[in-house]
Amino acid sequence: MKLKYYWDIYSKFVSTSFTEASSFRLSFFLIAVMDIIFYLTTLFSVSFIFDHVQNIGPWNKNQLLFFISFMLALDHIHMTTISESFWRFSDHIRTGSLDFLILRPAHSLFSVFFSRFRAATVLNGVVAWAFLIYYGNQIDLSWLGWVFVPFLILLGLNLLLVIEIFLSTAMFWMVEGAGINFIRMQFQQLARWPDFIFSKYTRKFLTIVVPISLVGTAPVKFLLDFKDYQYLLWMILFSILLWVLLFSWWRFALKKYESASS
Amino acid sequence: MTSWIAKWWQTMKTAWSNYMTYRYNLFLQIVGPALVFFFIKYNLWVSIYGETPETKIGGYTLTAMITYHIWGFVLTMMAKGHHAVDLGQEIRLGRISSYLIYPFNFWEFHAASFLAFQFYQFFVAGLSLLFFYSTGLLETFNLQALLLGIVYAQFISVFWFILQFATGLMAFWLEETWILRVILEILTAFLSGAFFPLEIYPEWIQKLLHYTPFPYLTYYPTKIFMGDTVNILVPVLTISFWMVVGIILNRFLWKRGLRLYTAAGM
Repeated sequence: MKLKYYWDIYSKFVSTSFTEASSFRLSFFLIAVMDIIFYLTTLFSVSFIFDHVQNIGPWNKNQLLFFISFMLALDHIHMTTISESFWRFSDHIRTGSLDFLILRPAHSLFSVFFSRFRAATVLNGVVAWAFLIYYGNQIDLSWLGWVFVPFLILLGLNLLLVIEIFLSTAMFWMVEGAGINFIRMQFQQLARWPDFIFSKYTRKFLTIVVPISLVGTAPVKFLLDFKDYQYLLWMILFSILLWVLLFSWWRFALKKYESASS
Repeated sequence: MTSWIAKWWQTMKTAWSNYMTYRYNLFLQIVGPALVFFFIKYNLWVSIYGETPETKIGGYTLTAMITYHIWGFVLTMMAKGHHAVDLGQEIRLGRISSYLIYPFNFWEFHAASFLAFQFYQFFVAGLSLLFFYSTGLLETFNLQALLLGIVYAQFISVFWFILQFATGLMAFWLEETWILRVILEILTAFLSGAFFPLEIYPEWIQKLLHYTPFPYLTYYPTKIFMGDTVNILVPVLTISFWMVVGIILNRFLWKRGLRLYTAAGM
């Protein structure tokens, strides 16, 4: 019942975002172009490196490009559904407009982080998935692997989201919290590379302390070899743990909110 | 003349004070991304070379590749502009009305702010260089190449300012100019040699890129810093040509944009 309630609210958010986006058509078009340029430059960069080497770490060209495509598909959902809310969040705290969000009859986390939907990038999902399917075929991904892909993308997104919200909550203690968004973006950058490119201690840090490295590495390692499931278990464990902690952390942070200009 | 200099000086001081008010944010916005970008590239190349750091990839050993990226980082800190954000906002929020009546042009105000920002960039670049040298990541450097590199980096920064000014001016037509800024940054990073040296690209792309200003923004200045032989006249003339094109474009955008300006918020 509660799920339907939230789904109805979310549907309204999405429809409002489409209406808003259709008023700024040039921006709508440019955002789509920007994402496609990002996809192409990312894939070409890795492809050019493989003109000179056979492997990077234990992976060959197709395996690494499959990983990159997996992350692009995950990024696409992230950019479409959540990313814009993070940028608005710092404004909401600074200007006091967060009042209107936390007073809504829905959980404040939902109102703050799921109210913005980027309609312009919806269609880019076709491009991201086309790359994922192409490189999935190149590595001969099994039918069972294909069944797992959508769930693993959502699992990765879930972990990325909870880490990002955790981090963004620190904005409550700042006058101008936009800088936190840049740290958040740097974590995304780190997640876009497989863990084996990092040195031993960095890898441990990015797996245990801030488990951002698990976002893409754990699912793709599992897809490449089903016996490699340990990271995936860690990923699920961290996701549950972080969500549980997040609710307390969020409630504690809300008490620090000064409601500027109210 | 004295009052003109005083105006520039005062604007620079005000801009400096604004930057320092949010220095934490400034650090996270400007230095943070460049640091992480370097950190990833460093790890990636160490992983690529693996157990054979003396192997040459595109003519670079691991040490040469890391040196290239260190100088690329220093160059980014010294030259890359970030001005389009403020500029676009001022147009969108209708704040430029003041400049239309002040005895100080819009571009002069932003050029003075840009100069103030260059001091910050220069300071951070100096600290970075000191860090890389003291930790041994950068084994050695040539003083003459360093000085030439600094001069060329300042020259490049003017071009970055012109490019950023153009994206900012698009706020006359666009609700959000950050999209153009991000497109410019992605394309520049990819085509200028910021991801990796041009030798890594397929030969036909390398040839094509030399007809564009991109390699002269990262690849050539980095080579200058590294002390490699570069015919400095070619990058200087190429960038000068694109600067003139940029200035003409900015004047055109400004004149056309003002016709659309509604002074929102006044």
